[in-house]
Amino acid sequence: MYVLDGICKVFDGRTFAVRDLDLKIRRGERVALIGPSGAGKTTLFRILNLTIPPTSGTLLFDGLESRHFSGRRLRDVRRRIGTIYQQHNLVPRLQVVHNVLSGKLGSWSVWQAVQSLIRPAELDLALGALKQVGIANKLYERTETLSGGQQQRVAIARLLVQNPEVILADEPVSSVDPTLAAGIVRLLIDLSETHCKTLLMNLHSVDLAFAHFPRLIGLKNGTISFDLPAAAVTDEHLAALYAGSGTEAAEEEIVSRAEPSFGRSCQPHLTG
Amino acid sequence: MRNLMVAGGILALMVWSYVGTEFSLRELLGGESAIQMLAYVRKLFPPDLSTQFLLKTGYWALETFAMSFLGTILAILIACSLVFLSSRNLMFAGLLFDMERSRPWVRVLRTLLCFSAKAVLNLLRTIPHLVWALILVFAVGLGPFPGMLALGIHTGGVLGRLFGEVIENVEVQPIEALQATGAGRLQILFYGILPQVLPECVAYTLYRWEVNIREAVILGYVGAGGLGQQIQIAISLFLEHRLLTLILAIYLIVTAVDALSAYLRSRMA
Repeated sequence: MYVLDGICKVFDGRTFAVRDLDLKIRRGERVALIGPSGAGKTTLFRILNLTIPPTSGTLLFDGLESRHFSGRRLRDVRRRIGTIYQQHNLVPRLQVVHNVLSGKLGSWSVWQAVQSLIRPAELDLALGALKQVGIANKLYERTETLSGGQQQRVAIARLLVQNPEVILADEPVSSVDPTLAAGIVRLLIDLSETHCKTLLMNLHSVDLAFAHFPRLIGLKNGTISFDLPAAAVTDEHLAALYAGSGTEAAEEEIVSRAEPSFGRSCQPHLTG
Repeated sequence: MRNLMVAGGILALMVWSYVGTEFSLRELLGGESAIQMLAYVRKLFPPDLSTQFLLKTGYWALETFAMSFLGTILAILIACSLVFLSSRNLMFAGLLFDMERSRPWVRVLRTLLCFSAKAVLNLLRTIPHLVWALILVFAVGLGPFPGMLALGIHTGGVLGRLFGEVIENVEVQPIEALQATGAGRLQILFYGILPQVLPECVAYTLYRWEVNIREAVILGYVGAGGLGQQIQIAISLFLEHRLLTLILAIYLIVTAVDALSAYLRSRMA
């Protein structure tokens, strides 16, 4: 699905966010990205969903080179990639139904889009998606009145309506309470499993990554620290990944991994 | 230390302006002028409340009101037709254009269009409405029509700038998310930008309407109809009783519009 070759992203001409990154993601694969904050995970995702162009290197999406995308073709490719962000990815003043249906904008004409703001088009689709995430009763509410967890589910409903081939989830649960977090991750996993969608997820929680993903990529200072099947990732790998990052969250992760943990023994996909 | 310097600067400016404007409390309150002022105020009373004049005043007040109202609507039309062209983030810069590999001349053209729209708005805004009114009175003749045009043109420039600032400062994260779903720029305008900016733009418009009702009075002075023109006539013909009636009418109509606009704005928030 994705082939990245020597991808660099430099901000303001000096700050390297991503440095010389090589990566291959196959269709239908489920990959978790972990690493300390500031490692370049979000930048990498913004490159992968074609929001920002890499400074150098080549990005192939489904065999097509990203630098050739423009205008209509760029929109067509973006439509095939769905993104869930950490937060603030909905339009607060719009009703939930319009935020959900905005997943259709890639295939609607401008006129259809404007008409739908007046009288929602494809209402069944929106309702079905909201049912799937369990908040069908919120259809006509103003999005800003919803809680963080509900908003994240609206974002997933939009993803369902968009029905992309690739799902990029950039720390989808870090602003959601822990009990809900597992549910949201589970929902995205199910989605990728049942419909064979490629799933890439940035995760703050190493445990969630081990529990649900067959392949883990550790990202540090904009480069890949390791790229291994979950079973092959050791505590040394994690220690090296979070060493020197100094953030509390990172230290917590190391401590929790150092203890005998369930995460790995429980994880169901022990692909070699 | 810096605060001291700022304070000193403000003090110096005050002294300089005091001297510059020949401000004098003694001249304002003392002796001759105070007596004159009192005499003039006494002459204003009682206001002319004859039915005939009240009816006329009502008509002029309506004229002033209509001038401010239509002027504001014209301003909205002018502002809306230029503001999208004058917004950098919609025309050539930032998130919506990061991935576009359009030919250089397209980009140059878009940039030029944006800056010319900005320049036009600036021109409309920087020329005071009074000057616009003078020009337009010469062009289309006396009456409320040139007044309405002058208000609309000047306020169009003001609103264009205010709307533009709101549009250039929208929350970018929802827009990034919309773009990532494959939405086009016009769709992003309708789904991501307008819902964010509309309440603020309406509030600004209502506020400018309040300003315009006062400006409409002033415009009467250069022949643009309404209460202002009658005030000018009343002053120059020494019709003091009528002057007071007209002033009361202004007070009423401005207060009414202020209250209405404040009510509408509070309803929106």
